[in-house]
Amino acid sequence: MMALEHITLIIGSSLILLGLWGLITQKNLIKIVISFTLVDAGIHILMISLGYLKNRTAPIVDGTIDNAVEQIVDPIPQAMVLTAIVIGLGITALMLSFVIRLAKDKNSLNVSNFKDLKW
Amino acid sequence: MVTPIYIIAIALGIAFSLGFFSKGSKGIASSLFYLALTALTAIAGQWLIAFLTGDQSTVEVFTSGFKPPFSISLQMGFEEAVLLSMINIAGLLGAVYLFDQFKKYGAHLMITYLLLIMGLDVIVMTRDLFNLFVFLEIASIAMAGMALITNEGKSVQAGFKYLTATAIISAFFLIGIIFAYNFGDSLYINELLMSEGILKAGMVVSFLIIMPLILELKPFPANGWGLDMYQATHPAVGALLSGASVTASAYVLYKLAPLGGEIGYQVIAILGLITFLGSNLAGLKQSHTRRMLGYSSIAQTGLVMIVIGLQPMLGEMTLWIAFSILITNFLAKSGLFWLAGIINKDELKSWGILRKHPILLFLFVMFVIALSGLPPFPAFFGKWELIMALANSGNAWWIGLILLGSLIEAVYLFRWVGYGIKDKSFDFSINCSTYKTIPIYIMGAGLIAFVGYYLNHYFGDVVWYFIPLAFAALMFILDFLPAKLKNIIAIIGMGGYAYYMYDHFLGVDNLRFFFALIFIVGGILTLIPGFTKSGKRLGFYPAALLMFSGLGMLISATDLLQFFIAWEIMTIGSYLLIIRGKNSIKHAFSYMLFSLGGAFTMLAGFAFAQSGNPGIGLEVLSNMNYLPGLAAALIAIGFMTKTASLGLHIWLPGAHAEAESDVSPMVSAILLKAGVFGIILLFIGIGAEAATNHPLTYTLGWLGALTALIGNLGAAFQEDAKRLLAWSSIGQLGYILFAFSIMTHLGWLAGLTYTANHAAFKAILFLGIGGVVFRTKTHNMYEMGGLIKKMPLTFITVLFAIITLAGIPPLSGFAGKWLFYNAVIMKEWYLQGTIVFFAGIIAFLYSFRILYAVFLGHLKDKHRKIKEAPIWYLIPQFLLMGFIMLFSMQPELILRPFGDMISAYFPTDALTWDNGTALTSLGYWNGFRVGVIIFILFGILFGWLFLTSRKVKKIKSFNIVYAGEAPERPETTHMAHNLFAGYNKALGFLVAPGITNIWKWIDESTHDLGDFIRRIYTGNAQTYLVHIVAYTVIVFMLINFSI
Repeated sequence: MMALEHITLIIGSSLILLGLWGLITQKNLIKIVISFTLVDAGIHILMISLGYLKNRTAPIVDGTIDNAVEQIVDPIPQAMVLTAIVIGLGITALMLSFVIRLAKDKNSLNVSNFKDLKW
Repeated sequence: MVTPIYIIAIALGIAFSLGFFSKGSKGIASSLFYLALTALTAIAGQWLIAFLTGDQSTVEVFTSGFKPPFSISLQMGFEEAVLLSMINIAGLLGAVYLFDQFKKYGAHLMITYLLLIMGLDVIVMTRDLFNLFVFLEIASIAMAGMALITNEGKSVQAGFKYLTATAIISAFFLIGIIFAYNFGDSLYINELLMSEGILKAGMVVSFLIIMPLILELKPFPANGWGLDMYQATHPAVGALLSGASVTASAYVLYKLAPLGGEIGYQVIAILGLITFLGSNLAGLKQSHTRRMLGYSSIAQTGLVMIVIGLQPMLGEMTLWIAFSILITNFLAKSGLFWLAGIINKDELKSWGILRKHPILLFLFVMFVIALSGLPPFPAFFGKWELIMALANSGNAWWIGLILLGSLIEAVYLFRWVGYGIKDKSFDFSINCSTYKTIPIYIMGAGLIAFVGYYLNHYFGDVVWYFIPLAFAALMFILDFLPAKLKNIIAIIGMGGYAYYMYDHFLGVDNLRFFFALIFIVGGILTLIPGFTKSGKRLGFYPAALLMFSGLGMLISATDLLQFFIAWEIMTIGSYLLIIRGKNSIKHAFSYMLFSLGGAFTMLAGFAFAQSGNPGIGLEVLSNMNYLPGLAAALIAIGFMTKTASLGLHIWLPGAHAEAESDVSPMVSAILLKAGVFGIILLFIGIGAEAATNHPLTYTLGWLGALTALIGNLGAAFQEDAKRLLAWSSIGQLGYILFAFSIMTHLGWLAGLTYTANHAAFKAILFLGIGGVVFRTKTHNMYEMGGLIKKMPLTFITVLFAIITLAGIPPLSGFAGKWLFYNAVIMKEWYLQGTIVFFAGIIAFLYSFRILYAVFLGHLKDKHRKIKEAPIWYLIPQFLLMGFIMLFSMQPELILRPFGDMISAYFPTDALTWDNGTALTSLGYWNGFRVGVIIFILFGILFGWLFLTSRKVKKIKSFNIVYAGEAPERPETTHMAHNLFAGYNKALGFLVAPGITNIWKWIDESTHDLGDFIRRIYTGNAQTYLVHIVAYTVIVFMLINFSI
């Protein structure tokens, strides 16, 4: 039986690779944005899995838990993930708004149609 | 001290509150916005002042009182204070420049802008890895948002590419952060740098941290996304990208580079070098201004990466060098991007519009010169230190490649300057709003202030050395005065300088005094014709004085750095002078490229020469340890580009011939001697004994002989009078090079004699022909003729000059020839000597041609009412003729001091004097006696001809008939047209433009290579992502492979 942290590690890495593959193969702008969110999600899972400590609980501390330091997982990756998710959201939103502008401009979602700048 | 946390607090607070302002209260919003930016600048500024004045030590601030990793830590040290000041000033000035855009877009844009500046600030200060990630993201989101200011399809595309690329780069960085935390157990950079866990984790972790930071700096070729931003977004965004953003990202790389260890540094340096070379190459073919600036920005970033990567070798100098390059790029690029916004046209040629705005033109030229890394701007000092350090550590290849990249950059930058100064193909008007020009002025003033700072830093104890430069700067300020008044001021200034030279060098160092005479007194003489000009003659005097101050500083230079600065200042001044000619744009460009190429080889030579020496005084030239042969050859090549020796001569005819009438004598008679002076210094360094069979002097001897032959032959086939003189300069400088290469007492005596003669007669010739051109408005000899009756005084001076040139007794040219043959025979260089002898015969051909075609024969109909050349042209000619007469009749007066100078270096086989007769072991010569005899003979012959020629019937133009037909090409009926067709048939192949074709081929193939390289930028956002991924993978594999 594979340990939980290994499973998440594999899932996270696969998502990153899948996302990268999508980024460099998909022509549709929306799909490119989705691929980016896959990479992002993969990284988030990776972060969680690296901060995981066996048989511990979430780092939400209230008065009922004694000896919290020995009961919770490393809180820093968790905090990092929260921030990273927010940032990822911001970037995704901005990317999509760019896509809307691009699509309005040329009435197309194909990335190859936006090559006005080169050389 | 206001703690740096307020930077975040103020920016965030104001940014959030801006959201509450409705459209009605725009005024308050924008006041708040500008207030916030001012506050950020003030906070950064007060830290900077505290560090500069007091003994303020580095401060670390932790948020909410926790220690990392539970808090964010910000560090405020001297470096941070400097960089924050730069970023916030760029932010504030950029916001002023964007005034109209903020008015248009209101609070949304202000919020984005504030977040961008804050993001960059924190990137510099933060010591927390994850925090760094967050603010990198904030900055890149805000930057992408700024792309929307220009609501065009192209700009939106650029923003999208930028956003996707930075998102992927940040994703890599985030992965790196996780691993760093996992292995290093900390996010606190100060702890991570010392963590053993990271080292143990192997290269992957540090690679994942450092590689994204490199990618943020847009390394070539994975940088298409960055280039598009430069090109398509609002110019103010370009300014921020290349000023503020690069500064912040470079510092982050500097902060974290130690994680990579030795290999990491090497990788950074190599990738930087590839970026520097590749980006400059790709920029070569660029015709879109802002994209070209983008290429240049990225190249400069590459240079900064090189410096960061070489940190283990550079040590404490790293920051100084990096700062020198960064600050120059920061000030100049911001100014140039803003200027691009004012001009608001894409084509490089459209910058010709700046001719109508002299102050902006001045700033433009200054910015570009600064960017090219020329003195006295900060980047030059950075490059100098870098090159010296590379030589000291034995990295010759690095020097070569860095200088090559710099040269390529200069190619496209100076082509652009040429358009700016001269191009007239665009006619439109530009709108110089005050809020747009003021930021540019401030950046310009900042750049000048830094010049002062650097000069003071390097030469605080020899301030006097830069007085001539200050005088040239004064001429920039006085440029609004009328030309005649400026001419008087310039001559007075030069007179003072001449007195200084007389006071300092006469009797102390006569060799230098001799060259000072040529440079400064010659300069005064060639300034005199300037009195014929009316109006303001904008730009002439600053350029001329810049050149003369450079020449003078060459004389008083005591170390390599001073010498090189003087050399470059002279080059810049002469470039600005030459480009003033009507058709000079192309020729000035080629002059500049050859000069810079020469200067860079000289720089490399200097670097090798000083390596292993305790200082950089000029005496190191006599004690070269590191690659001495190569060093001497490189320095010689540098000087020979100025003397236009064979192979490096192709710039000269155009540059000298197309220059203005009074500029030609300056550059031909005077400027070329700078190269001679340099060669003498080099030869003195090599020393008389070592040089007897030195391969370098032997080669240069041959080169000089061939240059003389080709130069003279080229002159004989010219139809253009000024080109003829220019080609003749090539030949004459060939003699001079040959004579000095003989490396004996008599050889040098001949060399100095040639130098003095050439300065005098070439000035007369260019002034005389200049006067003719002034009156006839043509350079073509077949459009002249018979001018002896209209311009008799000019004819007399030109005749004397020609006799001197041809080396015919009794004039001083013969002294040179006589010494020369003595020297050649004693040295036993018979073969080379024969070539030079043959070249001398060819000199008769063109000497005859210019006399005959211009002054003899039939007067052209349209020249019937022509007058003698203006008196201001004649005065210097007669003064110089007086010198030639003196030299001819009393050679001892001049040759004896020459001999005394040379005896210091070549004591044996000197010329001896016996009552006015010069003696060598081979023979004797008495100038006065020869002169008297020849004048008597001349008198007799002249009298006889005068008496007998009365019977001859004079033919006038009217007597010539074309059988009723007007010839199709009237010039063919002129006797002097294609005068030496027969010789051309026999020997013309020697001057066929073979060498020109070689250079052309080099030029074209480099451009083609650049064009080929830039094809990787397909414009497809996805391709750019592939580039990033592939770049990362390839670099990773190469590192693994090399380990």
